[in-house]
Amino acid sequence: MSDVSVKKGLAKGLIKLTVLLGIGFIFLLLLGKILPAPTEDGYRLFPVIGSRVWVWIIAQLHLNFAAFVLGVPIFAVSMEYLSWRRKDDRLDRIAYDFTKLFTLAYTITASIGTVLLISLPLLYPKFIDHMMRILGPTWWLYIAFMYVEVIVCYYYYYSWHKMKDKKGAHVAIGGLLNIMGTIMLLITSAWVGYMTTPGGVSETGELVNRWQAVKTFMWIPLSLHRLVANVVFGAGIAAAYAAYRFIASETDEDRAYYDWMGYTSAMISIGFSLLLPGVGYLLGVEIYSFNEQMGIQLMGGFFAWLWVMQAILIGAILMFVNYYLWISLNKMPGGERYFKYVKFLFIIMLLGYAVWLTPHSVALSLDEARKMGTYHPVLGNLGVMAAKNTAVVITYLATFLSFAIFKMSNKESVVSWVKLGNALRGLIVVGSSVIMLAIGVYSYMVTSSVRVKVLSPIQFGIFFLAIIALFILDAKMFKGAKIIGEPRWGKMPERSQYALIGITVTFTWLMGMMGYMRSGGRQYWHVYGIMKDTSVDAFLPTHGYAAVITSIVTVIFYALMGFLFYGIMKLEKKGGQGGAKA
Amino acid sequence: MLKIYPIIAVIGLFLSIVAVLRKSPFFNFAGLLIFIYGLLKSAEYIMPALPAQVILMYMAMCVFSLFIYFSIQEETFKAFLEPMRAVLADDNKKFLRLIIVFAALPLFAGYLTYVKVKPTYNPPVSARIVHPEPPSQMDFKGKTMNVLGLENPLRKDTANFAKYVEEGKKIYYQNCFFCHGDDLDGKGHMADAFNPVPLPFRGTDTIAQLPESFVFWRVSKGWRGLPAGSGPWNSAMPSFEDFLTEEEVWKVIMFIYESTGNKPRSW
Repeated sequence: MSDVSVKKGLAKGLIKLTVLLGIGFIFLLLLGKILPAPTEDGYRLFPVIGSRVWVWIIAQLHLNFAAFVLGVPIFAVSMEYLSWRRKDDRLDRIAYDFTKLFTLAYTITASIGTVLLISLPLLYPKFIDHMMRILGPTWWLYIAFMYVEVIVCYYYYYSWHKMKDKKGAHVAIGGLLNIMGTIMLLITSAWVGYMTTPGGVSETGELVNRWQAVKTFMWIPLSLHRLVANVVFGAGIAAAYAAYRFIASETDEDRAYYDWMGYTSAMISIGFSLLLPGVGYLLGVEIYSFNEQMGIQLMGGFFAWLWVMQAILIGAILMFVNYYLWISLNKMPGGERYFKYVKFLFIIMLLGYAVWLTPHSVALSLDEARKMGTYHPVLGNLGVMAAKNTAVVITYLATFLSFAIFKMSNKESVVSWVKLGNALRGLIVVGSSVIMLAIGVYSYMVTSSVRVKVLSPIQFGIFFLAIIALFILDAKMFKGAKIIGEPRWGKMPERSQYALIGITVTFTWLMGMMGYMRSGGRQYWHVYGIMKDTSVDAFLPTHGYAAVITSIVTVIFYALMGFLFYGIMKLEKKGGQGGAKA
Repeated sequence: MLKIYPIIAVIGLFLSIVAVLRKSPFFNFAGLLIFIYGLLKSAEYIMPALPAQVILMYMAMCVFSLFIYFSIQEETFKAFLEPMRAVLADDNKKFLRLIIVFAALPLFAGYLTYVKVKPTYNPPVSARIVHPEPPSQMDFKGKTMNVLGLENPLRKDTANFAKYVEEGKKIYYQNCFFCHGDDLDGKGHMADAFNPVPLPFRGTDTIAQLPESFVFWRVSKGWRGLPAGSGPWNSAMPSFEDFLTEEEVWKVIMFIYESTGNKPRSW
């Protein structure tokens, strides 16, 4: 991807996509003829590892890359918009770097998508036939939008320097790219939504109403959840990329830039992750509304242990984030004044983490079970939603405070009402914490519907109100503040960068495990309640087995990402910044 | 009897305090971990012991988090690594290195091997699924019922609510009390004979989390109705459809909710 004109770039993108699709269809036809006919109930067996594991790995890899190429453009365009409004070249460079990343990642995404395109109809012909009968037109729509997206994406990237004087128009193209990405996400979510919470078909699987088959219970909440998670994931990958480049940097200038890029990406990632519990809730509500049985299985039955795993991993992510922010105080002139608060934040984080990961149903030995009963008198109370939600909002608030401390650490407020401002800040933090704790305690005393539908939203609402209030207060207090010194970007120990990589790897693994849970919710159905899975894999794998597969996928994904990062660095060395022609 | 765990906690705390005074983050880290372990294990003197699995999770979390904490500031982190560096590199620590390599590590490996191969007569630890997923439909004495959306018909008859609860109480004491207990806390006379022990109905984490339809299914079908993932061996609950009528099952359900102050999940 050395310097290329817009026309050549566009042609390159279109040829790549057409060739990949062509390869896909040719292989599909050829293998369909060469391979033995499917079994009577409509399956072919993939050698050695089996069809399910093969499709699992390929689909998860494709999803990881797709999440990346759909998530990163959202904030690449946001950055470009900010650079345009603020006339900040550094923001423009970061936006361009992100664009370079996702444009290159498109090829890998499409290649893995091609493998999936070949694999699914060959290994599961009966199932794909059913899906095509019900949602076939959406598939062709998907291909059409894929072409439009590739055109817009490649145009956006290759016209970067050419349109440097028409930033408004260029940002609008970026906006269009995101609209295309969102439409594609809506289409793919409709497929998964239909498989899990089907609608619009008769009990025997005959199409009754195609729109109802698209507009299932899961469709919009899953799309929202994926949209937000894609931004979190995309920004996380960008942070990991920055960390990798920071570690590999040979000059102070590069180190400073990648330090800033890593910080910006990580904060976007964590900022958006604040929305995930809310949209996750919405998804849960819709699953329960569709089928309580599935809801119970996902929340309290076979998959209950995955929530403990999720708590361990998200707790680790938040610890990494706080660690990164605390360690960043070292580079802020005046930052040392705030180290005294770190130990308190650490204790709050640790306690919150402990509550969050405490399981409700514990794996017990016979002796322990006899002494304790079904639930431990203390731990049992920490394992339920009332405690978990409270721990989540308190640890998120502590994380926001770590961020606020970092932001203000090199400034001194000059407003006349500093004391009042500090008192107000304390009041907001302590007051909101006390109210959130009180709601948490009160949640034990009410029915589950009140807890879920009333108190939990209030608790999260107070959390959001508190951080908005703190944000506004700090903006007012530090307007025109005395700057003690500019941040010493690049003056970070390497271990801080491993925290950024740790955040993203943990998030990738978590995505894989949650995917296993979402898919496992269907149990032995391809399409829940409509089309049974009668293959040899019609059983739920154990969590341990799923963890092994997810780990393999994560390792392959990062190996490919490493290859991508290496490719970008090599191109830069070869031809300056590389990429689009000025 | 000597209470060992509080002593371990005190030793850990003492080590930590001395380490703070002598500015040695590594020993502070070690002291804090010993203190936390002692504290968690000491819980058994005031409540049922914390399960080994939970202690393991808490300790793993503490090792990870405390390591992070001690590596925030450059000087602290250098001081934290210093004892390890000294053991590995200092000339005057040759003897210590020999002890670690030829005594401590082999002994530790031997201990781990011993623990691994030592015969044990305890049944394996298992993660129980407390709320197994119900089927969409069930058969009650030949009558097909949709479990999903199934409602207690007696609740609509509000005029006779107290009467139904009273009748449910009698049914409870004739059938359920022996295992689930007089106080509905899962500690009936026979409770200790079972593994897993019967569920308590008090508190906010069993029936309060469930709709009545779920409880109806569990009471009616007992262990026989458990899905494969939960394993029929994970319950000794009889199938009460063999002994009770549909109305009697609903009545006893009304009693257990009413007497524990819980409300059925309506969502």
